[in-house]
Amino acid sequence: MKILCIIPAFNEEKNIAKTAKSAKKYINDVLVVNDGSKDKTKELAEELGAMVISHIINRGQGAALETGNEYARRNNYDVVVHFDADGQFLAEEIPDILEPIIKDAYAVSFGSRFLSKKSEIPWFKKHVIMRLAKAINYIFLGVNTSDPQSGFRAMNKEALRKIKIEHDGMAHCSEILAKTNKYGLVFKEVPITVIYNEFGQSLGSGFKTIKDLLINKINK
Amino acid sequence: MWQQIIALVLIIILITRLSLLKKKGKIQSNEYIFWMIFWSLAGLAMLFLKQLDNLLMDFGFSGSGINFLLYLAVLFLFYLIFRLRLKILDLDTKITKLLREIALRENDNIAKDNNDTLKDNDNIPKEE
Repeated sequence: MKILCIIPAFNEEKNIAKTAKSAKKYINDVLVVNDGSKDKTKELAEELGAMVISHIINRGQGAALETGNEYARRNNYDVVVHFDADGQFLAEEIPDILEPIIKDAYAVSFGSRFLSKKSEIPWFKKHVIMRLAKAINYIFLGVNTSDPQSGFRAMNKEALRKIKIEHDGMAHCSEILAKTNKYGLVFKEVPITVIYNEFGQSLGSGFKTIKDLLINKINK
Repeated sequence: MWQQIIALVLIIILITRLSLLKKKGKIQSNEYIFWMIFWSLAGLAMLFLKQLDNLLMDFGFSGSGINFLLYLAVLFLFYLIFRLRLKILDLDTKITKLLREIALRENDNIAKDNNDTLKDNDNIPKEE
């Protein structure tokens, strides 16, 4: 079974080496999508033996993930894992996210920080931002999952073929959930640990995500 | 009266400028037709401002014709901004697609070059 770990990265020279190295312990093929970084992200990832595809300008995390997905489609991968470059996720949980797909034939598995007691989620994020995101996902997209904005997920070939990410920014999380629902793909939520640092999504970018979702909905 | 004359002069200048742009091929036909109709209607509204006042009074509105035109203009501007936002969004999507294709093709070319180099190395006779 061909598995690809996709890591979108923008100016992540501080974290990319550690993240790519830890992911490589569990998945042989690691693809770093360098999203127009101005620092040494590309060089550091290449030094570690990761494959690197570079966007010449920054287009956002959703765009970088879709580039990785397209690479997987063209190179006939069976499963992809989406993993953040900033060290928020634990590589040792990659087998957990893959298990529902490999063993139980689920199409998609989503990491959820709310099924685990391990993540120390900031109060404002947990009780305000996430509740708002959950409500918006439910009202506008018809999806109800424990974690509305998880970036740690895995998809099988069928899901990869059907789900094409159109949102360039952070709204891709909700978009993937909505498309999983739309195409009737069976999914499972897996408890994961999230380590919070200063790079997390801010309230401002949360509102931008809502705006992106609404504009895209109107534009359809 | 003077306000009407100034508005009409401005509209005539804009229509002349529009025609010049069309003549130089700097504007597409559909854009030209749209703006020509828009400014012609604005000119007609200016010419028949008094009749417009009467018409609005007949419909039971207390405001004057010029106010009505101003409201219409603001509504139209909002609509234009909305259309522009959608257009920008569409362009944004196209830029991403283009960039993705460039990145993937570049990666394919690098992989192909590496394979060719490996093949060339295999063809070099090894020294005894």
